[in-house]
Amino acid sequence: MESIIQITNLTKQFPVGTGKFTALREINLEFHRGEFTGFVGPSGSGKTTLLNIIGSLDTPTEGEVLVLGNSVAHLTHKQSAQLRNKHLGFIFQTYNLFPVYTVYENVEFALLLQHLPAAERRKAVMDALEWVGLTDKAQSKPAQLSGGEGQRVAIARAMVKRPAIMLADEPTANLDSKNSHHILQTMKQLNEELETTFLFATHDEKVMGYLRRIISLEDGRVVKDEEIMMDKITEG
Amino acid sequence: MIRFLIKGIMRDKNRSLLPILVISIGVFLTVLGSCWFKGIFTDMIDVNANFSTGHVKVMTRAYAENVDQMPNDLALLGASEFVRELNTTYPNLEWVERIHFGGLLDVPDANGETRGQGMATGWGIDFFSPGSNEPERMNIPGSIVQGALPSQPGEALISDDFARRFGISPGSPVTLFGSTMYGGMAFANFTVAGTVRFGMRALDRGAIIIDITDAQAALDMADATGEILGFFRDGQYDGEKAAAIKEAFNARYEGDPDEFAPTMLRLNDQNGLEDYLALSESISGIMIFVFVLAMSIVLWNTGLLGGLRRYNEFGIRLAMGEEKGHIYRSLITESVLIGTIGSVAGTALGLAAAFYLQEYGLDFGDAVQGGGIMMPEVFRTRVGPEAFYIGFIPGLFSMVLGNALSGIGIYKRRTSVLIKELSV
Ligand SMILES: Nc1ncnc2c1ncn2[C@@H]1O[C@H](COP(=O)(O)OP(=O)(O)O)[C@@H](O)[C@H]1O
Ligand SMILES: [Mg+2]
Repeated sequence: MESIIQITNLTKQFPVGTGKFTALREINLEFHRGEFTGFVGPSGSGKTTLLNIIGSLDTPTEGEVLVLGNSVAHLTHKQSAQLRNKHLGFIFQTYNLFPVYTVYENVEFALLLQHLPAAERRKAVMDALEWVGLTDKAQSKPAQLSGGEGQRVAIARAMVKRPAIMLADEPTANLDSKNSHHILQTMKQLNEELETTFLFATHDEKVMGYLRRIISLEDGRVVKDEEIMMDKITEG
Repeated sequence: MIRFLIKGIMRDKNRSLLPILVISIGVFLTVLGSCWFKGIFTDMIDVNANFSTGHVKVMTRAYAENVDQMPNDLALLGASEFVRELNTTYPNLEWVERIHFGGLLDVPDANGETRGQGMATGWGIDFFSPGSNEPERMNIPGSIVQGALPSQPGEALISDDFARRFGISPGSPVTLFGSTMYGGMAFANFTVAGTVRFGMRALDRGAIIIDITDAQAALDMADATGEILGFFRDGQYDGEKAAAIKEAFNARYEGDPDEFAPTMLRLNDQNGLEDYLALSESISGIMIFVFVLAMSIVLWNTGLLGGLRRYNEFGIRLAMGEEKGHIYRSLITESVLIGTIGSVAGTALGLAAAFYLQEYGLDFGDAVQGGGIMMPEVFRTRVGPEAFYIGFIPGLFSMVLGNALSGIGIYKRRTSVLIKELSV
């Protein structure tokens, strides 16, 4: 499979008071199209920081991060926005839907930024809502949705533009077990059907059950990077 | 995208209602205020011009120096010839003689004994020349309370207040005591033709208005007049034209040392009107400045609060690949939309109120203390063409400025920080 993300000697430091705090040290990783991979580790181990740098929401202190051939450290604000707009999708722990817009409009927003014609937008939005099983909620407002439905809308919104890479930061943290499994199955399916690469940051056992590659972080270091056998997954 | 923004504004009352309210109120006040001031100043200037200063006024130098005392002993001689000459030299002004005098009005009883006396200010104006505009100019036909305009010499109008105080009605005799041009005692009998109320304290306390020929006869002022007033024929005072006329006129008498030589003043130079004219020209600017300042501060703050509330939204929009500049511009677009809605609403309300007050006025009778300046007691707004757009300056400008300022916060915050707040 094609290599789409290369991380070489990545170190990330945050200024803290007068000194510096090192959140990520000497990370070397590579990701291929179609991966279903998670960063796991205790709180504070650097999962979110790593995900944000891959998502070009933050920049490396040292080292090189190439995402689809773009060096995150050297992108202008405009270029990184372009990269996110075209190729990256984000899901967060909180769904962050726009409260005044309907489910349909929330999903459509991502396409408005791409200046797509109305008919194409409509088709794409309805497809995305179908993936997450929410076509009947298109005209609902976020406040009328359950937590699981809210997160599914967030997935549809991130997926509607068919990004190459989805970055999901603790997507199940606010969901009960049933809803967690539901959205994980949805994402797994999208991963298989659309070949979208999924990168998770999580410390949720349920998520780990779906992952095919688990990268363990501790104090900003990669301590383990393991492929999961296929048969184990079918059990999960 | 615009439709998306409009939907957001319409649905998110927090985003729109407060700013629209603030703007509407501010714009309402700006529009009404500017019409209000325009009304006051225009009325005041008209009243002063028509009753006292003219657009320009010719007097002897000596008279001009003591004009407050109505010193008719310093009057212009050869008045009718002078007026004729002025009319020829300056044909786009109408020139009229007026005698302004002080005196005592004596009200006799049936036996001719004094029943009451009061101080009076008098005007001798041209009632009877064919085509004279003087009664209309002083709004006399519209101010008659009882009776009618004088129809022949020997008839007078007196203030309605005065008439009531002394129980006079049309047909009653009154006697005017004053002093002649030569310092002698003057008295003349008049029949009251009607009573008038102008709605101006300075005029309504005690006034007597008679024909100028009667005044000349009573005060021994044959072919003399205290003042010659010039009015632009189109009715509009034009300060610059008036200044040019005044300078040309006065230049003719520059070398003449005679204190009885004529001198011309324009409206600005009299009754302290210069300051008021200057104020009237700057007042709209001042008001707009004040409202822009005050409203910008308020809207800046509501913008900041709104921005705080929407940090999540901005964060997620950044994550979705929207550029900061695009978000910023969409905020400005929103503020233009909101500013326009608020300005339209405020202008509509302001115009409605201004039109109402233009029609019906507001009676400030007891609050107005007439000083040197004559002020109408009923204040009316005046809706000029600028009233239709003046409110948009503070309304739109302050909303956009307020949001532009508050939106800078988004620029200042790093993307990663905005995103970080998403996950908390
Ligand atoms: N902007 C920042 N400034 C300072 N410290 C930060 C910042 N972002 C993250 N950190 C620190 O870096 C470490 C890793 O954080 P994070 O990547 O959020 O961990 P995780 O997602 O694994 O819980 C934490 O100790 C956190 O406090
Ligand atoms: Mg985290």
